[in-house]
Amino acid sequence: MARPHIEPFVDRDVSFRKFTMPGFPKGMQYKMLSLDPENGACSMTVMFEPGYRQPPGMSYTEYELFIMTGSITIGQKTWGPGSYFMVPAGVAIEAMSSSRGATGLLFYNYGEPSFVESDTDHARAERNKFAAVNAYDDMQWTSTNFFPATAPGCLVKVLHFDDRTQAFTFLYCMTPNFWQDNISYHDCAEEAYHIWGTSWMMQFGELPTGGYFYRPPYINHGAFGCKLGTLAIGRTDSRLYNHFHFNPWTNIEENRERAASRIQHWMPDLYKWVNTHGHNHPVDFEYDHGHAHGDAPHHHGDGRVEHAHKPKRRRKK
Amino acid sequence: MKSIPHTRSREAEAWLKREIREQKARYRKILAEQEALTPKRDRWIADFLERIQTRGFHVHFNIIRKIRPEEVPVKPKRKFKVVF
Repeated sequence: MARPHIEPFVDRDVSFRKFTMPGFPKGMQYKMLSLDPENGACSMTVMFEPGYRQPPGMSYTEYELFIMTGSITIGQKTWGPGSYFMVPAGVAIEAMSSSRGATGLLFYNYGEPSFVESDTDHARAERNKFAAVNAYDDMQWTSTNFFPATAPGCLVKVLHFDDRTQAFTFLYCMTPNFWQDNISYHDCAEEAYHIWGTSWMMQFGELPTGGYFYRPPYINHGAFGCKLGTLAIGRTDSRLYNHFHFNPWTNIEENRERAASRIQHWMPDLYKWVNTHGHNHPVDFEYDHGHAHGDAPHHHGDGRVEHAHKPKRRRKK
Repeated sequence: MKSIPHTRSREAEAWLKREIREQKARYRKILAEQEALTPKRDRWIADFLERIQTRGFHVHFNIIRKIRPEEVPVKPKRKFKVVF
């Protein structure tokens, strides 16, 4: 993802506007939170007006929807606040409606929002990755299982975990009087939206209800505090590791170099292999070779990440 | 398959163009707001450096270590920014 650093942004400071992307039915409004200028991937607060109706259909890109207020009906089932949907690219969902209206968060992960009316899945859809859950009613809070971990009082509900990238989507809460006196950065991009409550970060000040950030990798954040408690939804684009420290003035380059140095010490053999092999495009034998859309950028020892590959010809046996 | 190859319509291109333009304006506004926060942030940083020497620095979960005075970092002379 190549979104800019948007932090902090409070969506309550702006008004909803009509969503006019082609293909989408009328009756949906949005506030843009962040957008990838390269591929159009974006995160939005959305409002389905009372009486909203959407025919069965699919998107060309994977998306996630979280309902904050009101309810939507998909097929015969009605989903209220806390409902979360992970819809892979090309998976058709049944007709959707909202009789009394709803607000939510909509995340298009790898491309611009799209909607194609269809009651069948696209040929390339991965239906088995579809997920739907009411996270308020059907999931319980757990401690984070990271090492090193956030301070006691920060609890999570993991809504989605991508086993290839280890990207994940999660609800998190901070208990009243939560505090964590360290500075953190990650190797992944991270975004979050405050469903309710105000928290504080030493760099950016207070983030209230409706507060949002999209933070690229290696950017310092913290210390942290929360007086009255906070409920929020967070997402990463890959594995989250808490690089904690206490130097408020380090920059992205220093933080990245520190992370690389840690890899050098934590995985010395792998570090050496990556640096000496000359073909910086390792293949995971459990997956395809890796030139599909949305796969990780790489180069072949020449530093040219933005190269193209011709389709491989198959030899006849 | 995270995304299925498709052709983007002219309307979608126009929508994206407008959103990108507005995001640039949003980013500039954030930069200005964060610049204005500098005096408060300097105080917060001073308080933080004090707390990690008295109450301690969170190493992991509830494990806290008190930072010795000689470990406390010194502010470099270069320009400091928090939004990148």
